[in-house]
Amino acid sequence: MNADPKNLNATTEAEPVSEPTAVPMWLIVTLLVLLFLGAWYYDARGGWLFNAKVYTPYAHAPEAFYPPAPDGANRKRGQVMFEKHCAVCHNNDGAGKPGQAPPLAGSEWVNAKGANRLIRIPLVGLTGSITVKGQKYDGLSMVGLGGGLTDDDVVDILSYIRNAWGNSAPDVTADQVKKVRTELGNRSQQYTGDELLKLEE
Amino acid sequence: MKSAATVFLAAFLALSASWAGFVLAPQLQLGRQPQVKPSGVEGLYPVARPGLAQQGAQVYRSLGCVHCHSQSVRQDGTICELVLLDAGTNGPATLAALAQFDRELAKLPTLTALPKVIKIVRDVPSAVPMIKALKAAGATAEVKVSAQGPDIARSWGLRRSVAHDFAYDETVQIGTRRSGPDLANVGMTKPALDWQLLHLYAPSSVVTGSTMPPYRFLFEKRMITRAPSPDALQLTGEFAPPAGYEIVPTPEARALAAYLVSLRSDVPLDEAPFTSLTAPAPATNAPAK
Amino acid sequence: MMARPPASMTACSPSSPGRIDASCRLPLFALFGGAALWLALSSVFGLIASLTFHKPAMFADCAILSYGRAFPAWSSLLVYGFCIPAGLGVGLWLLARLGRVELAKPWLITVGAEIWHTGVLVGLIAILAGETTGYEWLEMPRYAMVILFLGFVLMAIWAFVTHTQRAEQSLYPSQWLVLAALFWLPWILSTAVLLLQFFPVRGVVQAAVAWWFAGNLLNVWLGLAGLAATFYFLPKLTGRPLQSQYLALFVLWTLMLFGTWTGIPAHAPLPAWMTELSGVGNILAFIPAVAVIPILVLTCRGAKVPCKGGPLCFTKFGVWSFVLASLLLALTACPLIHRVTDFTWFGQGQNLLRIYGFFTMTMFAAIYYILPRVVGAEVLSPGRVKVHFWLGVIGTLLFALPLVAGGVMQGLKLVDPAIPFVDVAKSTLMPFRMSTLGETLLLIGNFVFLFNVFGVIVSYLRSVGKTVYVDATAQLETAVVKP
Repeated sequence: MNADPKNLNATTEAEPVSEPTAVPMWLIVTLLVLLFLGAWYYDARGGWLFNAKVYTPYAHAPEAFYPPAPDGANRKRGQVMFEKHCAVCHNNDGAGKPGQAPPLAGSEWVNAKGANRLIRIPLVGLTGSITVKGQKYDGLSMVGLGGGLTDDDVVDILSYIRNAWGNSAPDVTADQVKKVRTELGNRSQQYTGDELLKLEE
Repeated sequence: MKSAATVFLAAFLALSASWAGFVLAPQLQLGRQPQVKPSGVEGLYPVARPGLAQQGAQVYRSLGCVHCHSQSVRQDGTICELVLLDAGTNGPATLAALAQFDRELAKLPTLTALPKVIKIVRDVPSAVPMIKALKAAGATAEVKVSAQGPDIARSWGLRRSVAHDFAYDETVQIGTRRSGPDLANVGMTKPALDWQLLHLYAPSSVVTGSTMPPYRFLFEKRMITRAPSPDALQLTGEFAPPAGYEIVPTPEARALAAYLVSLRSDVPLDEAPFTSLTAPAPATNAPAK
Repeated sequence: MMARPPASMTACSPSSPGRIDASCRLPLFALFGGAALWLALSSVFGLIASLTFHKPAMFADCAILSYGRAFPAWSSLLVYGFCIPAGLGVGLWLLARLGRVELAKPWLITVGAEIWHTGVLVGLIAILAGETTGYEWLEMPRYAMVILFLGFVLMAIWAFVTHTQRAEQSLYPSQWLVLAALFWLPWILSTAVLLLQFFPVRGVVQAAVAWWFAGNLLNVWLGLAGLAATFYFLPKLTGRPLQSQYLALFVLWTLMLFGTWTGIPAHAPLPAWMTELSGVGNILAFIPAVAVIPILVLTCRGAKVPCKGGPLCFTKFGVWSFVLASLLLALTACPLIHRVTDFTWFGQGQNLLRIYGFFTMTMFAAIYYILPRVVGAEVLSPGRVKVHFWLGVIGTLLFALPLVAGGVMQGLKLVDPAIPFVDVAKSTLMPFRMSTLGETLLLIGNFVFLFNVFGVIVSYLRSVGKTVYVDATAQLETAVVKP
């Protein structure tokens, strides 16, 4: 509705005022409900947490869909699992953390032709000291992941690290992992570097 | 709000949050993506377009093609199929191997009755034991991973579009409307330059019932002098020029066609994997011969 | 003409509304007059673009009027030619009136407005010549954007100066919204122009920045500038106080906090966290729209003010369009829905509801109220305003709603791969025909608006001319009589 034309040049024209009435409760409740729905929606579909490689429709990085390598070891999947389980200490680039986790890149343990010693390390873990690339690492404590890893996981992860960051060694096979597991039996005691050196490669 | 300063502070906080989320974070995560070597494909991906196609991208931009066409394929899900490539010579052994995983298949009388796709599996690792068992029985099987969705079913792509596909685009023209079909992989489905030029000149001559406007200003109508030009469009019927004239594409049309033919993203990537049982496509954006 | 008191006095003592309006005259003529022109012209380009769908071969030989050039011309003229200048003009007037202070350096603001209009003209010519950028809602090339930015900064600085010189210290909700808008636009504009046109980012980050900009422009800035006018005119035109101050604060906060996260479409080739975060933003951006409803209902409750097609009608229609547009945006966050509506006309319909239905209608209300006061005479016939109102309402509804419904139908066909694409494209023609009819009505309405606005300006200039003529002839007569 147009205002009264007679007031156009009045010296006092009231400007609107606002009353300090409170925000209605239903609005606050709606806000909270929508916030909750939004959080649930993001949790379900958002590819936790700000992962740049997860695209809808995948809820996680689609490692389960990577094609396997011809010889049975899925290095791509191994990389994903390495980054999930091992990179926390050994770093994504295999450089390790000084005093805490030895490097894997260029490590003679990783590059050894035979995988007998290497397979035992993720299965039952390491303690004490070990010498890698001429450097001694003391006070280690790597927890074994044997129970949480399937044979295929071990095959994939170890095949990956044996061919990453300049390493070059043959893939680990499922038979080798099975053999080591049989030999380990119920053992849960971590290996020390010296103990491993006594085994054959 | 007592003062302008408070309002500005509130606005600053709100806007800097979304700036961090949608400007800074994409740049940090996606702004410097290196080329990757996809599995099963020769060469790196993505590859910069050849010069004429780069110019064509600018023609695409200047004509505003992005307002009708999108360049982003969607995907609903992924399906893993165990495919039997070779049933082998030892029929009973193969059937016995299959029986371990699927009783129904093992009941089939002969091997030739086996379907090519044996089974739909949940993911690749669950197919690996079956592959090994079949290998031990003398048969060869592979797992085929393919993307699913209406866009894929329309042959607009083999997988969804991801950030990597646009790493070498000068101006990214993703588009939000499909008045015309999606063009992300038009170089894979319509790789012929001639088809693209014909389509630009007279869309309804190659696509019956097409609603796309003809782009005749991208072409020149010339009198045929001594002999028809080798570049002249092969038009028939109502679209053909009058006798004695020919339709020749301008450099813009040629560049645009080269750009369209360079649009393909049919390479499996980490973010959107798929396998193909046929020979892998070369990872190049060069126009097809 | 009254003699002006020295500037130092205006900072302390409140000016009368008449004086304030008089000080705003020149800048608002520049801003509103230019805006009305660009709006009418944008409608023409919009219609030309739509014609391509009805008769594809119409512009086959004319590159300038082809869809890919006419469509960005329409969108750029609409947003940069009309929406931003109109919003800015209304904001300036609101800051002056609510601060009870005359506008600071009106001539400088007018210069800024003319610089802005020059930028729009340069941008329009560039788009028609093919220099379009390809980013939606940011089509103008960088040289035009620089001119626009300079014009805006000039106007914004003096708007802020006006605000600091205000006589009335306490702030009314509209002032918060205007100040937030003055801050928001330069930041998103400069970021987008720098990162897309001067130091371009690589790859899909360009799309992310462009979408962030478009979301902030359409879903936040239009909301800030439009609701500033709504919160002023609802109480002003009904004669009742705004209900309430805290609701308005709630709207401001939620609009800024949540609306800024909208913009990234669900189908984008970006990691899931970005598209889903934007989806959450879309859901939450519905809250400010919901909050405006009680403001409207409670403020207007009991006010026996009939609409009669005047500014109050425009404002109310604007509020409901804002609610509907925000609802449609929130719905697209649901995966089942955006699977169908992505890539269809649905998004365009939703944007049209927001821009035409909410923002332009609210600006029309404000301009129809402000211009007669700025001129100091009631020169606007309510009949013509009413004609514009009904053309605007029916035109907007016919323009936007068939696109929304048609988009859903189109999407349902798109997700069925058995339906060939040509059939999908053909099926959109029927809703598009209705939409073009609505667009034609809007075109007529916009020309009525142009006629109204220039009617006011011309009548003012005529009256000034008449006064000058009368004065001059009177002096001449006395000079002739004396000897």
